[in-house]
Amino acid sequence: MPLIEIKRLTKDYGAGRGVFDVNLTVEKGEVYGFVGTNGAGKTTTIRHLMGFIKPQSGGASVGGVDCWRDPAKIMKRVGYIPGEIAFPDEATGTSFFKRQADLLGLRDMAYADYITQKLQLDPTANLKRMSKGMKQKTAIVAALMADPEILILDEPTTGLDPLMRAAFVDILNDEKKKGKTIFMSSHMFEEVEDTCDKVAFLKDGKIIASISTEEIKHKQEKTFKIEFATAGDYTRFLAEPLTFSEQREAQNQVLVTIHDSNINGFTKLLRGYRIKFITEIKYSLEKYFKTLY
Amino acid sequence: MFSKPILKQTFKSSYKLWVIFTAILCVISAVVISVFDPKMISGMMKMLEGTPMAEMAGDRLSSMTSLLGMLSQQFYGMLAAILPMIYIIITANNLIASQVDRGSMAYLLSTPTKRSTVVRTQASFLIGSVFAMFLVVTIVGLGTVQLMHHALWGEGYTPDVVAAAKVLDVDKADLTDDLSLILDNEEALATGADAREIETDVYTMYLTLKMADDTGELPQFSEQAGQVGDMQNQIISGITAAADVLGVAPADLMSDMGKIKANSAALAAAAETSGLPEPLLVMMINSQLASDELALDAGIEFSVKDYLMLNLGAFLLMFAISAISFLFSCIFNLSKNSLALGAGIPIAFFVFQIMAQIGDSLSGFKYLSLNTLFDTNAIVNGGSYAVQFVVLAVIGVVLYVVGMNRFQQKDLPL
Repeated sequence: MPLIEIKRLTKDYGAGRGVFDVNLTVEKGEVYGFVGTNGAGKTTTIRHLMGFIKPQSGGASVGGVDCWRDPAKIMKRVGYIPGEIAFPDEATGTSFFKRQADLLGLRDMAYADYITQKLQLDPTANLKRMSKGMKQKTAIVAALMADPEILILDEPTTGLDPLMRAAFVDILNDEKKKGKTIFMSSHMFEEVEDTCDKVAFLKDGKIIASISTEEIKHKQEKTFKIEFATAGDYTRFLAEPLTFSEQREAQNQVLVTIHDSNINGFTKLLRGYRIKFITEIKYSLEKYFKTLY
Repeated sequence: MFSKPILKQTFKSSYKLWVIFTAILCVISAVVISVFDPKMISGMMKMLEGTPMAEMAGDRLSSMTSLLGMLSQQFYGMLAAILPMIYIIITANNLIASQVDRGSMAYLLSTPTKRSTVVRTQASFLIGSVFAMFLVVTIVGLGTVQLMHHALWGEGYTPDVVAAAKVLDVDKADLTDDLSLILDNEEALATGADAREIETDVYTMYLTLKMADDTGELPQFSEQAGQVGDMQNQIISGITAAADVLGVAPADLMSDMGKIKANSAALAAAAETSGLPEPLLVMMINSQLASDELALDAGIEFSVKDYLMLNLGAFLLMFAISAISFLFSCIFNLSKNSLALGAGIPIAFFVFQIMAQIGDSLSGFKYLSLNTLFDTNAIVNGGSYAVQFVVLAVIGVVLYVVGMNRFQQKDLPL
C-alpha cells in the first residue's frame, strides 16, 4: 500500500486555476518530485496533503488517514517546509526552534543542532532580520528537527545559494538513505533530477507526465554532437543511414541519435571521416519535459 | 482541550498590550475615584441649575453626585468601553487572522495540533484576558474606594463620630444610632466639629439634619428648605454684595459660603443688600453648609454590589464585542478584511451609543448599538438589567461558537 496517495483530487478556483483530477502515489522510502511552472498547482496539491484545504472532489491520504479529516494524526509523522516562509513572532532562530520543539513534544535538540551545523546557520540571529536564504535554512531545520518519517517540502531550495543548495541535496540524500519518504515540489529540474526517484510534471493543474529518473539517467538512446573537419566530410556523412536530430551546415556540425546496441557499428563508421571533435549531449529531465510542451 | 505551548506563545506575544491597557484603565479608574468630591460636584450642580448646559446634560448630571453615579458616567460609560475594545480589536486579529494572513499559522498546524485545539486555545485566551482585565480594574477600584473614602469597611464611621465617641467613651455604633448624645455634651460637640473641620453651630445644624434624615423626618426639613427657596433671590443678591466686599467671584463664594460668615463686613453687606437680618442669614448659611456636609456623607455611600455589577456588565459587553472581533478573525484570511468588520462594527456600536445620548432626535441610534445593553444608569439607580446581561452573554457565546466552527471548516492559504 502506498504511503501517500492522491486520488482524483480536484479543486477548481475558477479561471483555469486549481488542480484537476490529480492522481499520484508515493511508496514508503520513495523520493517524489513535483515539477511545474509557477501557478501550475504544486502548492495547492501540497496544501491538500497538509489538510489546510478541503478537496472539492477526490482526496488525499497519508498512511491511510484522510488529510482533511484528521491532519493532526498525520502531522505526527510529517515535517513541512511551506512555500512561503513566514515565521511566528519569535526573537531569534533558537527561540523559534524551542517553540516548535514545544509544539512537537520534542525534547532532544541534537538532530536540530546537527542540521543547523550542516547548513552553517547561525540560529541566534534575529528572526525578522534574517536574509531570505537564512530564513529558508531556518525553515529546513524546523521541518527536519523531529526526524520525521515523511517530508513534505514546497520549493525547499528557494533563496539558497548554489553551495547551500548542494548541502541541502546532501541532507536530502542522507534522509533518503535513512528510508524517509520525501515529497517535494520544485521549479528546478536539476535539483529534482539529483534527488528524486520519480518525477511528475504538473501543468495547468494537471499531471501531464510522470517518469522515473532512472529512465532518464540510463536512457539507451544517446545523442552525439560531431563537428567535421571539412564541408566534404559533412555532406558525405549526411548520406549515412542515421537519425539526425539537427544539422548545422555553417559549422559542419550534426546531432545524431544512436541506440546503445549500435554503438560499435557507429564508431567503425566514423573511422572513414576526418572529425574535429565528438561529444555526448546528456539527456536531462528538462529536455524530456520540454518535448512534452 | 487546550494546547499549553500555544497558550504560552500567545501569552508571550500579547501580555505587553494587556498590561498597558489594564494599567491605563486602573490609573484612570483610581483617579476618577480619588478626586471624587461630592461637595464640589453639588456646588457645580447648583451653579449650573437653570442654565442651558444643565438641560443639555439632562439627568446625567444628577446621577453624578454619588461616587457610583460619577463612575458609571465618566468611567464605565466611556473609557471602560473604548479602551478594552481597542485591546480586543488588536488582539483578536493577532490571534487568528493575522497569523493566517502572514502564513505563520502553518508552523502551528504542521505540528500534531488540531485546528479545534488552536482556535479553542486562542478564544480562551481572549476571553480570559478580558476577564482578567476587569478583575484587576475591579480590585484596584475597590482598593481605591477603601483607601480614599473608607467606604467599604473599617472606618465606616464619619470622623466626627469617631472623635466624639472617644470623648464620650461610648461605642461608635451606639453613637451613630443616637447622635443626640453628641448634642448633649459640649466637649463632644466641639471635638466632633473639629474632626469635621467645621464650626460648632454648623455641626449642630448638621447633626440635627442627619438625625431628621435617619428617622425619616425629612419632609419637615424640606418644608424649611422650601421657605429658604422663596428667599433665594434675596440671598443671591446678598451673596453678590458680599462677594464685592471680599473681592471674589459670586460663584466661588456660593460654593463656600462660610467666608461670608467669617468676615463681618461681608456679612453686613450681605444683610443690608438682601434685606434679611444677620442672624437669619447666618442660620441660612449654616443650614446650607450643614446640608452640604450631609450630601458629602451620602455621596460617599458606596454599594459594593452595584460596583461589581458595573464591572460585570462592562465585562459582558466586552465579551460580546470580543466575540464579534474573534468571529471575523476566524472568517477572514486577510487581516485587512478581519479588521474592517472586527474593528468597524464595535467602533460603530460605540459611536451609535454616543450619538443616541446626544439628543432625543438621535435616540433611535441606541437600537443599533450593542453598548446600549450595558445600561450603567439602570445598574446604579436600581433599574433592571438582568435580561440585558443575559442577552450580552448569549450573543458572545453564540458568536464564539460560530467563529470557532468556521475556522475549523475553512480553507487555509498556508
